[in-house]
Amino acid sequence: MKLIKDLYQYRELLKTNIKKEIRGKYKGAWLGVLWSFLNPLLMLAVYAIIFPLILKNDIPHYTMFLFTAMMPWNFFTSTVNGCSYSIIASGNIIKKVYFPREILPISIVLSNTVNFLITCIIMVVFLLLSGVGITPYILLFPVILIIQEVLLFGISFILSAVTVYARDVEHIVNVGLMALFYGTPIVYSLSMIPIEFRKFIFLNPMTSIIEGYRSILFYHTWPNFMHLGIVFIVSILIFIVGLFIFRKLEKGFAEEL
Amino acid sequence: MYQSFLQFYMNFAIMTLEGVAMKKTNELAIEVSHVYKTFKQYYDKANTLKEKLLFFKKRSGNDCLKILNDINITISKGESVALIGTNGSGKSTLLKLMTKIIYPNSGKIIVNGKVASLLELGAGFHPDFSGRENIYFNASIFGMTKQQIDNRIDDIIAFSELEDFIDNPVRTYSSGMYMRLAFAVAINVSADILLIDEILAVGDQHFQEKCFAKIKQLKKEGKTIVFVSHSMEQVNEFCDRAVWLYKGSVKKIGATKEVCDEYLKVCG
Repeated sequence: MKLIKDLYQYRELLKTNIKKEIRGKYKGAWLGVLWSFLNPLLMLAVYAIIFPLILKNDIPHYTMFLFTAMMPWNFFTSTVNGCSYSIIASGNIIKKVYFPREILPISIVLSNTVNFLITCIIMVVFLLLSGVGITPYILLFPVILIIQEVLLFGISFILSAVTVYARDVEHIVNVGLMALFYGTPIVYSLSMIPIEFRKFIFLNPMTSIIEGYRSILFYHTWPNFMHLGIVFIVSILIFIVGLFIFRKLEKGFAEEL
Repeated sequence: MYQSFLQFYMNFAIMTLEGVAMKKTNELAIEVSHVYKTFKQYYDKANTLKEKLLFFKKRSGNDCLKILNDINITISKGESVALIGTNGSGKSTLLKLMTKIIYPNSGKIIVNGKVASLLELGAGFHPDFSGRENIYFNASIFGMTKQQIDNRIDDIIAFSELEDFIDNPVRTYSSGMYMRLAFAVAINVSADILLIDEILAVGDQHFQEKCFAKIKQLKKEGKTIVFVSHSMEQVNEFCDRAVWLYKGSVKKIGATKEVCDEYLKVCG
């Protein structure tokens, strides 16, 4: 509750922070914020060239198959990477002024969300162009997004706070994300995994989320609500634990930085 | 026409509400009870696991520096209190504790009302942004909304006397201009409690006098002020009470004159 009150009072700071985050990312680039559009577009071009021509496989519309999973995944990794450094990057201000520290990781998550939504516009356009098409299932998109957001908030609280005390976390996170990339059905489909391993892959919360996106965008089916429900509950738990850890650790930020 | 009426009523409502709120919490602005603070001393910060293991034995025991020892101070609303003491007596640490930048090891600090700290002026100024943008950014760190800043921006610019340069990037400012802008923002954020740490060395004579006048005015408006200074003249001029800190403990609390005289006798 205190979090909501704080965020409301400091909404202006949150807003400027998000703006700064988005603008700052492309600072000095000639094309500026346009890169938010260009980035996924170029990535899509690369997939479209490599996979049908060089790495052929049986999945129809493989480019879009990859794209619908890759974009949420990129959203996940860039947020997790960004937030682990967020507190340290603002060390200067933290040592001098009081404001709710939660704003820092939260603005990273939100600014990445904005970027992701931009990407999604491109995704929808190309779903239509490639012939995969869109169906009313796309209306479930916000549901899955919210689950992912809650998960990301929780993870960012934990990582941003812990990194202040042990900077190693940043490097662990890097390796961990890479491992997790192959542990999530992004480049392959769930049906390619041998049955006996399939339950393990669902230990990874991103599996259900990515599968969810893929169901509604690519397969045009209902997502697996049981899996999503479990992930949602897990995400809420991570969120609560994360906020608790953050509150514990934030008291030492100014001294530790 | 209609809008101005609406605004008037809104203001009226807000004022009444504020009045009620003020009455309700009329007692204490800051309550510091049994506060202890120690800082870890980093001789050479052992950051990595290897160093931590290697220096494990050496680092045992007395690497904690006691900064504050059992501090008890209560400050009522509208009071202005000076913290005096020699260097290293813990004045600034106590102020930082009041702003919630750092937290005590034990004990409690209760602060009622919005705090503006004039400890580190210009924190969070971004050199590439213009003065105007920095006002928005800096004021938002103090928890103001866009509308509140919009209402105040003219006051802030006028106070800083930077009308001609306000749209230039802050990196082109001289240090005096920088401080003036920072001070103008901090003093205009409509806080209930002002924490001031020896910043009145801002700018030239003229600007200093203006700052003093502004602080006096704020005092009259019933703001609580906590003031750290080595200048007994300033302290005598502004403060109702003074707290003398010595090596992390309160040596004497009382009327400004009394405490100052004794302080000067001992340390003069």
